[in-house]
Amino acid sequence: MLDFLYSTGWGAFALMLFFHIPFLIVFPYIVYRKCYVNTGPSNTDPRKLSRLEALWLIIAVGLFIAANVYSINYLPMVKTSATEASGAVIQDVDVTARSWSYEISNRQFEVGKPVRFSVKSVDTMHGFTVYHPNGKILFNMMLIPGLEKASSLVYTFTEPGKYKVRCLEYCGIAHHAMQDELTVVKSGS
Amino acid sequence: MLAATIRRTPFLGRMFDVDESTGLSDINTWPAMMIMTSFVWLIVAILLGVLMPVIQLAELDTNLFYSAITLHGAALAFPFLFQFMMGISLHRSGGCMGKSASGPLTTLIYICMNGGAVLLTLAVIGGLKITYTVMYPLPLVGAQMGQWSMGMVVLGFTGIALVLTSMIFLYPIQILRMSFFGKQREDLLLSARTLNDPGMLGMVMSVMILLVTGTPLMIVAGAVLLGLYGLVPLEAITWATEPVVFQYVFYIFAHNLMEAMAIMVISAVYATLPLYLADGTRKLYSNKLANLALWILLVTSVTSFFHHFYTTNPGLPSALAYHGNFMSWATGVGAALSLFTILATIWKHGIKPEPGLMAILAGFVLYIMDGVNAMVAGNIVVSYQVHGTLWVGGHAMMVLIAMCLMWMGVLYHHYPVITGKKLDTNLGNRFVKYYFIGAFGLTYSFAAGGAMGMPRRFADWSAGPDSWMMVGIAILIFGIFLTVGFVTYMQNFLKSRAI
Repeated sequence: MLDFLYSTGWGAFALMLFFHIPFLIVFPYIVYRKCYVNTGPSNTDPRKLSRLEALWLIIAVGLFIAANVYSINYLPMVKTSATEASGAVIQDVDVTARSWSYEISNRQFEVGKPVRFSVKSVDTMHGFTVYHPNGKILFNMMLIPGLEKASSLVYTFTEPGKYKVRCLEYCGIAHHAMQDELTVVKSGS
Repeated sequence: MLAATIRRTPFLGRMFDVDESTGLSDINTWPAMMIMTSFVWLIVAILLGVLMPVIQLAELDTNLFYSAITLHGAALAFPFLFQFMMGISLHRSGGCMGKSASGPLTTLIYICMNGGAVLLTLAVIGGLKITYTVMYPLPLVGAQMGQWSMGMVVLGFTGIALVLTSMIFLYPIQILRMSFFGKQREDLLLSARTLNDPGMLGMVMSVMILLVTGTPLMIVAGAVLLGLYGLVPLEAITWATEPVVFQYVFYIFAHNLMEAMAIMVISAVYATLPLYLADGTRKLYSNKLANLALWILLVTSVTSFFHHFYTTNPGLPSALAYHGNFMSWATGVGAALSLFTILATIWKHGIKPEPGLMAILAGFVLYIMDGVNAMVAGNIVVSYQVHGTLWVGGHAMMVLIAMCLMWMGVLYHHYPVITGKKLDTNLGNRFVKYYFIGAFGLTYSFAAGGAMGMPRRFADWSAGPDSWMMVGIAILIFGIFLTVGFVTYMQNFLKSRAI
């Protein structure tokens, strides 16, 4: 469940709906009721309303905290540190982005072996986004030219296949053509 | 003379012909001029907005798409919505403080905003395709690569500088001048307010945000502009031309611009909602809670802009990314308090179902929905999935669309005072319905596109799976609903009758 919520775009969509749906039920209901059904003043005890105010705040803050705390283990920085700490051999790949292509030091990887992508741009803003063969985004990086440190993260591919790379930062009239491909093969092949 | 100019303007002049019999020209005429002009830009933005999916579906020239997206974003955000907001807020401020909204400063605001927007438009027509976020250093790199000429870069940057001068300096100074200085004129005072009222507090807060967060951008952009004019050697301003410097000062401002506009419109909601309470009490549930919500929004929003840079890690140090994540969600606490204040007010007092108020409430629903969308994307983990996709493009558009609907509702309230004419209730309700359906559908269409990895500002939807084109069709359909909403709104102004 958490994998779905924090590792896929549709998970993010579901998280958004989790907050939208109660709101879209309660807000229109109260507006409709006090606009068309009974527009008279409600005889609500002010102390009750104050308690409701506190309760509402606690629920909202609680949900906000939960949504973020559960995501900690999925943070790219945390995953990178964990992989580094595990002693696993990390394959380093340097990527240079320029309008409208990528120079990639290695385009073939093995399933299960962590890869550190260090990506920089040499002209304008670019993106480096890796798509799973099924079309979902695995991760994306924004590249600002001139940054002292290359954008970097460690990723471990879990399935073989052809992975498309796209630039997701608008970079000029051929932005849509800035694409590449990575190949992931089974371990040992 | 200005009133006569409005009256003589074809088509739109009939909508915003100012009522000069009330003696309120000093708070009505310039605001009417700004609102009317903003509608010209709205028409431009609508046509380009509908054109974009059509270009994709008909597989027309990709250059046309990038020109359309640049001009659509720029026209929608600045000369339409910001100018629309300026017009209404100057009228509100004048009526609440009893101060004139006219004078040389207001004239300059108008000239800089529209003159700048015209120059930027000419540059885009001349080939400059940089989107409304500029994507610096793309303008310079593009010129070096021959994508457009350096002349168009200079023209476009001049236009942008004029627009920013209007937004960052002139307008805030005018609002601060009206709020704190000058003698109050009884004849202009419609509804006396002080800074203890959430409506006025939010207005002052938002212009302070513009002034404080916008000044660094003006310094950097000003230096770049002087370099482009050849007045200073580019080597002397490398501190300003570094892409990292420009991107940070840009997003400190651009992010907070949206927050400032949101604070401004929420404060307008706080000021307007009590006027439509069924029991006539004219009181919010709690002014203190309303003000607290504004303060929380102010404090948390300023540094939440770091979420624009999460995916540059380690370019953005992790500590600042965590801070941005925390602050992005903390803005939700302010929104939660606003939500409670509005619902508790409605629950306690009941409301009258007037189209203006319904537009405000529908806009508020969209604003909260979009706020959730932004908070979710403000989580670092989620950002690695959706940054650069239609999700965030949709968020930028929907926050503007939501605020626009709230401002349209506020104008609905002020329109009779400005023009001496009343609006039709049926047309008003119809406008809210169409607009809301369109905006609601667009919210989910963009988010779904982002969830499936569809890039924003991308001229070739056919390069992806078929589902990308389906999202494009949904955007077109809901965009048409939104357009019908806008058209109905204008139709109502056209058919308005003297009171």
